[in-house]
Amino acid sequence: MSSSLVLRSALKRTFGRRIAAGPISQARYATNDAAQLQYVPGGPIIQGTVNDPTSFPPSSRTHGSHHWAFERLLSASLVPMTAAAFVTSGTAYPILDGVLGVSLVMHSHLGFDACIVDYLHTRKFPVTGQIVKWGLRTATVATLIGIYQFNTNDIGLTELIAKAWTA
Amino acid sequence: MMSTRALGLGHSLRKAAFGPSAVRNQLMLRNIVGKRSVQIQSMPASAQDQILNKQRIHRPSSPHFTIYQPQLTWLGSIANRVTGVGLSVLLYGFSIAYLVAPTTFSSANVVETIAGLPEGVKYAGKAILAAPFAFHSLNGLRHLGWDMVKFTSVKGAYMTGYVVLGATAISTVALTFLK
Amino acid sequence: MQSLLTATRSNQLSLGKRAFSSSVSRWQAVPQQKPVLMKEFKIYRWNPDQPEKKPELESFKIDLNQTGPMVLDALIKIKNEVDPTLTFRRSCREGICGSCAMNIDGQNTLACLCRIDREGSKDTKIYPLPHMYVVKDLVPDMTLFYKQYKSIQPWLQNDNPPSGTEHLQSPEDRKKLDGMYECILCACCSTSCPSYWWNQDEYLCPATLMQAYRWLADSRDTNGAERREKLQNEMSLYRCHTIFNCSRTCPKGLNPAQAIAQLKLELATE
Repeated sequence: MSSSLVLRSALKRTFGRRIAAGPISQARYATNDAAQLQYVPGGPIIQGTVNDPTSFPPSSRTHGSHHWAFERLLSASLVPMTAAAFVTSGTAYPILDGVLGVSLVMHSHLGFDACIVDYLHTRKFPVTGQIVKWGLRTATVATLIGIYQFNTNDIGLTELIAKAWTA
Repeated sequence: MMSTRALGLGHSLRKAAFGPSAVRNQLMLRNIVGKRSVQIQSMPASAQDQILNKQRIHRPSSPHFTIYQPQLTWLGSIANRVTGVGLSVLLYGFSIAYLVAPTTFSSANVVETIAGLPEGVKYAGKAILAAPFAFHSLNGLRHLGWDMVKFTSVKGAYMTGYVVLGATAISTVALTFLK
Repeated sequence: MQSLLTATRSNQLSLGKRAFSSSVSRWQAVPQQKPVLMKEFKIYRWNPDQPEKKPELESFKIDLNQTGPMVLDALIKIKNEVDPTLTFRRSCREGICGSCAMNIDGQNTLACLCRIDREGSKDTKIYPLPHMYVVKDLVPDMTLFYKQYKSIQPWLQNDNPPSGTEHLQSPEDRKKLDGMYECILCACCSTSCPSYWWNQDEYLCPATLMQAYRWLADSRDTNGAERREKLQNEMSLYRCHTIFNCSRTCPKGLNPAQAIAQLKLELATE
């Protein structure tokens, strides 16, 4: 019951947004005024009066500077790792192969996540945003397991690329 | 309501126009007409938001990336994202495929399949993989520079941008013909 | 009448008068007839009185040799002589008020600082600032932009100001504010930023973030910790992906991208 209520209100919000932010269409001239005049993130209706400042999301360093710094340090550490992977072989240095695999997946996850926050944020897309967010998390876990399996049971990532490249 | 009022006004207008004192009273008449044709409605101050919002919901959003001049700045940025996503999709795709079907996607199978391809396709495939890898890696270095507040002028951004493009071209060719 | 005037003029000329030589030469100067240089301006139009009509580009052709050099001159000429319903903001006509910010030939700039491209065969397209809700024609709704600017508390905050004396600052500390205090809040940079296009409601735009850093960098301000804490979230600051559209387009030659890069580094090393 409660979940269906949430879903319905969420649907209404997406629909309201479509009406408010989309191109001019006949739907805009629907009779339901009250629904149209609701605040919708990114829509033309603005919260508060023109003299109120906008508010900030709750403070969290995990989502702020720590996230940013971690992202940069990870990217920077990929540089020597990639260079090392070019000159050595994965079978000789399995630890490098493992660390590189995990780092690449984390880097990819952060990149995908940035895209979702940019284009499909849950405040604008309450249903799609949630699906994509959890879809990404699932895919990342599956990828980590897959890459672990490949690195332990098969020849490993760097070796595969080297072999495929000269095949 | 509106129409009856308009009708009443029309009637008195007609009477005034055909009456003998019409010319003399023209100025006065104009005043009356001017006052009557504007309707004033008393509203609470809180109603202004409602009026404004009713205007706001009709406002179109002005065009953006379709009309913005193509520039190295934002084209480079979107290229960075597209290449990154492309390579990551490949990494995720292969890893998940191996997890699901380890025998089909074993290294031996993959290498064998690639070896069976015609030479031209091999080179094309290598170029298609090498170009985004080179661009994303080199542009990543450029980003790391910016994050340390290096090359953060417009001139610096353009200079490093052209360097990255040039270096990408060279590394793509080198990687494609790497044996 | 015209011929009579010319006749008298040439008469006086042929007589070769002495005392009136200067005024005669001024008489002689017939206004130079410049060739007609027609140029097409395609201008975004949308009228709130007909909201069901989609926005469209309307074409205006004017003679550039009868117009001032800047795009704003052309707009004013069109409004005066062709279509008085054309709506745009303008005030100072010298690039200090920021009113006439718009998208001209694909770039955000101030119409009063943008020279008309005198290539007559090419049209000039004028749009309002990108991805903004349009009030009418070239006038965007700036309410949210101003509300965001207000949210960073753009004023000096100090718990312990010196009493009875000036609030002194060393020349080096003052120098840190150069390139930031000059911002006129025209919103050219903010509306050139793709991140602001997609997340306008939560991401503070380049202009606001540069001002946020302007108050953080001020040696006289003591509220830095609180100012920084506010930006510690996913949206307000960190939607900046260092695209550089902001610095590229700034009509005042400022560098918001650099200010934001410094801001991020300061937050990370705090």
